[in-house]
Amino acid sequence: MRTKRTVGVYLRYILYGLLAVSLAAYAIYFTQNPNVNDLNRFLINAILGLSIFVTLNTGLLSLANAGFMAIGAYSSAILVAKVGLPLFLSLPLAMLICGIVGLLIGLPVLRLTDVYLAISTLGFGEIVRVIIVTTPDLTGGATGANLSTGFPFERMRQTETWMLVLFLAFLIYLFYWLDRSKTGRALRAIRQNSGAAATMGINVVYYRNLAFVMSAVIAGAAGVFYAHQIGSIDNNDFRFSKAVDILSYGVLGGTTHWFGPILGAGLLTVLPVSLREVFGTSVAFFTQLPVIINGLALLLVVIFLPGGLFQPSRYRHKEMPINEAEIADDVAVSKESPPLVEGEAVGPPADALPLLELHDVTRTFGGITAVDNISFGIPQGIICGLIGPNGSGKTTLLNLITGIYHPNRGRILLSGRDITGLPPHLIAKLGIGRTYQNIRLFNDMTVLENVVVGHHARIKTNLFTTWLRLPQERRQEALARQEALGLLKRLGLLGFASQPASKLSYGDQRRVEIARALALHPALLLLDEPAAGMNDVETALLAEFILTLKRQGYTVVVIEHHIDLIMQVSNEIIVLNFGKKIAQDVPVEVQQNAQVVEAYFGQE
Amino acid sequence: MLEVANLSVNYGSIEAVRDISFQVPEGKIVTLIGANGAGKTTTLSSISGLLRPGRGKIIFQGQDITRWPTDQIVRAGLAQVAEGRAILSPLTVAENLELGAFVRRDRAAIRQDIDRIYGQFPRLAERRSQLAGSLSGGEQQMLAIGRALMAQPKMLLLDEPSMGLAPIIINQVFEIIRQINEQGTTVLLVEQNANKALKIADYAYVMESGRVTFQGTAEEVRSSTHVVEAFLGKG
Repeated sequence: MRTKRTVGVYLRYILYGLLAVSLAAYAIYFTQNPNVNDLNRFLINAILGLSIFVTLNTGLLSLANAGFMAIGAYSSAILVAKVGLPLFLSLPLAMLICGIVGLLIGLPVLRLTDVYLAISTLGFGEIVRVIIVTTPDLTGGATGANLSTGFPFERMRQTETWMLVLFLAFLIYLFYWLDRSKTGRALRAIRQNSGAAATMGINVVYYRNLAFVMSAVIAGAAGVFYAHQIGSIDNNDFRFSKAVDILSYGVLGGTTHWFGPILGAGLLTVLPVSLREVFGTSVAFFTQLPVIINGLALLLVVIFLPGGLFQPSRYRHKEMPINEAEIADDVAVSKESPPLVEGEAVGPPADALPLLELHDVTRTFGGITAVDNISFGIPQGIICGLIGPNGSGKTTLLNLITGIYHPNRGRILLSGRDITGLPPHLIAKLGIGRTYQNIRLFNDMTVLENVVVGHHARIKTNLFTTWLRLPQERRQEALARQEALGLLKRLGLLGFASQPASKLSYGDQRRVEIARALALHPALLLLDEPAAGMNDVETALLAEFILTLKRQGYTVVVIEHHIDLIMQVSNEIIVLNFGKKIAQDVPVEVQQNAQVVEAYFGQE
Repeated sequence: MLEVANLSVNYGSIEAVRDISFQVPEGKIVTLIGANGAGKTTTLSSISGLLRPGRGKIIFQGQDITRWPTDQIVRAGLAQVAEGRAILSPLTVAENLELGAFVRRDRAAIRQDIDRIYGQFPRLAERRSQLAGSLSGGEQQMLAIGRALMAQPKMLLLDEPSMGLAPIIINQVFEIIRQINEQGTTVLLVEQNANKALKIADYAYVMESGRVTFQGTAEEVRSSTHVVEAFLGKG
C-alpha cells in the first residue's frame, strides 16, 4: 500500500511528461504538415470524454456512449445529406433525438447499478448497431453511410476545427458552473452515498436520469461532428471497443473533475499520433506500439492511481478563505430568523396535535420481526429518547420513519399527513432530518460542502439559473454557504470547514452529520447515537446543544446508549425490546420500570 | 511487550500525532484516553500497520514492526478491533468468526473458541447463520470484538469497544476484556468511556492534540484534577 502510493506519484510525473513530449512532437509535426484531422479527432474525443464524465461523476458505470454517438452521427448524416438541412440545424436536432432516446432507455435501465448497468448499456449499443445494419434504405446498412449509399461527401465533410473548439469551450463553461451548483453537488453526493443523498431531499432517480440524458446528448453531439469530420460513417465505428475507448478517457484521466477525461482523451489520442510520426508506419511493431503503450498506461493507472491521473484537491476553500463577516450568526438554527428562501413558511406553532404518529407499525425481515406492532405519538417541541438493547429495532424504526424501509403493516403520520410508503427524499422535504449510526458523510467533500448539500431541498435554483448566471443563483448559493458556516460555528466545527470530512475524528464526524441534518430545517430531527465516539465532556456539550434545539422549537428523537444524556435531555422516553415497545414514560418512571431495568440497564 | 518510541504521524500537512512514546508491559491492560481528534485512533492504526508513521519506532516483542504490512503484524500476534466495526457484511456471523482465525491452523481449538465467544455473546449465537450486514450496530460491534479474539492474539488493540452498546452489554464487554487479560492477553485499549476504561486498566496515557500530556497508574490518572476536568466530567 505504501509503495503503491509512491509508484503512483512517479507514474503521474511520467504520464504528464509523456503527454508534454507527445504534445511537443505533435506541434513540430503540425508546423511541418498542417493537417487538422488529428487535432479534430482529439477535440471530438474530448467531447466524448465529457459525456462519460457526467455519468461516472454520478456513480453510473454506463457504456451507452458509443450507442448515443452512433445515433447522433446517423441522425445528422441523414438530416444533412438526405433531407438537406444545414449542419448547424442538424446538431441540435440530433442532440434532441439522443436526449429523448436517453430518457426512454434511462428510465428502466437506471434501476440497475455497477456491472449490471454496464452490461445492459453495452447491450443498448449493440441494439443500435443492429438497427443500423437492418435499415439499409435509411442508413446505408452494413456498408455504411457513404457515396455508394447516396450520402454525398460534399455535404458530409463540414466539421471545422473552430466549431469543435467553440463547442468544447461551451461545454467547459457548462461543466464549470455545474460543478459549483446545487445540481452538481447533488450528482457528486449521489456518487458518494446515494442513501444519505436521498435523506437530504435529493431525488436520486431524477438526478441519475438527468445525468444519463446529459451524457447521451453530449455523446450525440460528438457523433454529429464525427460523421462530418470523416465524411462517411460505418456501424463498425461504434462497436463495443469504442465504448471502452470512451470509458478509458475517464478511467485514465480521472472522474472527479471535468478536466480529467479531457486530459485522458488528450493522452490517448495525441500519444499514438506522435509515435506514428516519430517511428513511421513501415515497421509493423511500431504500428502496434501505441496500442501497447495505451493499454499499459491504462493498466498502471488503474493499479497505482485509482481515480485517475487528474485528481485536484476538492478543498478549494483554501483559495476561498472564510470571512468572519460571512458567517450567518445563529441564522440556521434559530427558527425566528429569516428563512433562506424568500417567502418560505416558518415552522408551525406548537399545538396539541402530535407531530409524528405511528399506528401499529410492523416490519419483518425474513422470519425476524424487527419492529412489532409499534404505536406512539410524539408531540411538537419535545425531545424523545429512544432506548433499548442492541438489536431491539431502534435503527429499523428510524429507517421506517424516514422511508428507507416501508412497513409491512401500519401507518406513519407527520403533522397528520400520511407519509407511509413515501420515498426518503420526499419525507426529507416534508421536514424529517436524520443522522446515521454508521456515519454516512460525503467523504470526498469538505465539511462545509457536506452541510451545503444538506441545504439542497431549500435552495431554489435550477440548471437555467446556474448556466445563465442569474442573480438568484449567486444569492441562494451565498446564503446557503453563510447558513452552513453558521451551523458549523454553532457545533464548534468552523475550524474544520475546509477539511475533507473523512479526515475528522469519529465524534467530530457525528457533529458534521447533525449540522448537515439541521440544514434541512427539519420539523423533526432524528439522531441515531449522536454521542457514540464522544467522551463525557463532549457528550455533556452535545446534551446542551440538543436542549438549545428544543428551546428553538425543534422536535428531536434521540437514540443513545449514553444514559446520562438521555435522562438529561428527554421529556419522554420510549423503550424497545425485541421489536416491541415495552415502555413510554417520563425519564424518572422509565428508570424505575422493572422490565426496563432487566432488559436494558442490567444490575449494577 | 510493545514499545512506541517518538512516533509522529502526519495527514498531509496536519500533524495528528507528535512525538509520542509509551509502553505496554506484558500481561497488562494499558489505556489511551483523550478527547476526539487527540490522535488515539491514528496511534492505533500506526501500530497495526494501517497507517505509515512519519517518524519513530514501534517495537513488538523485541522486533521492529514499524514498516511491516498489517497481515504480518497480525501473524506476529497483534490483533486490532477497529473503530467503526469493519465487519464483512456479505458473510454470516459464523464465517466472520472463522475468518478471524485465518492465521491459525488448529481446527479443534478454533471450534472451541467460537463456542466460547457464543457463550460470551449469546446474541451472536442466536444469529450465527445470519448475514453480518443485517445485524444491528451494537451486534456488529460484538462480532468485531469476537472476531479479533479468534486470532488468539498475544496482544489485542481495542478501539472504542463500548461504542454503540447498551449499558448492560458495556459491562459485559469490559468484563470480557478483563477475562481475556487474565488468560494472558495483553491489551491496549482506546476508549471514550474513560471511567470504565480506568476501572480495568493498570496504566493510562492521556493524549491531547497529538501529544501524551499525562501518564500514570489508572489510580493516579483518576485522581488527577487536570484529567478529571478535561475528560471525566462530573460523573
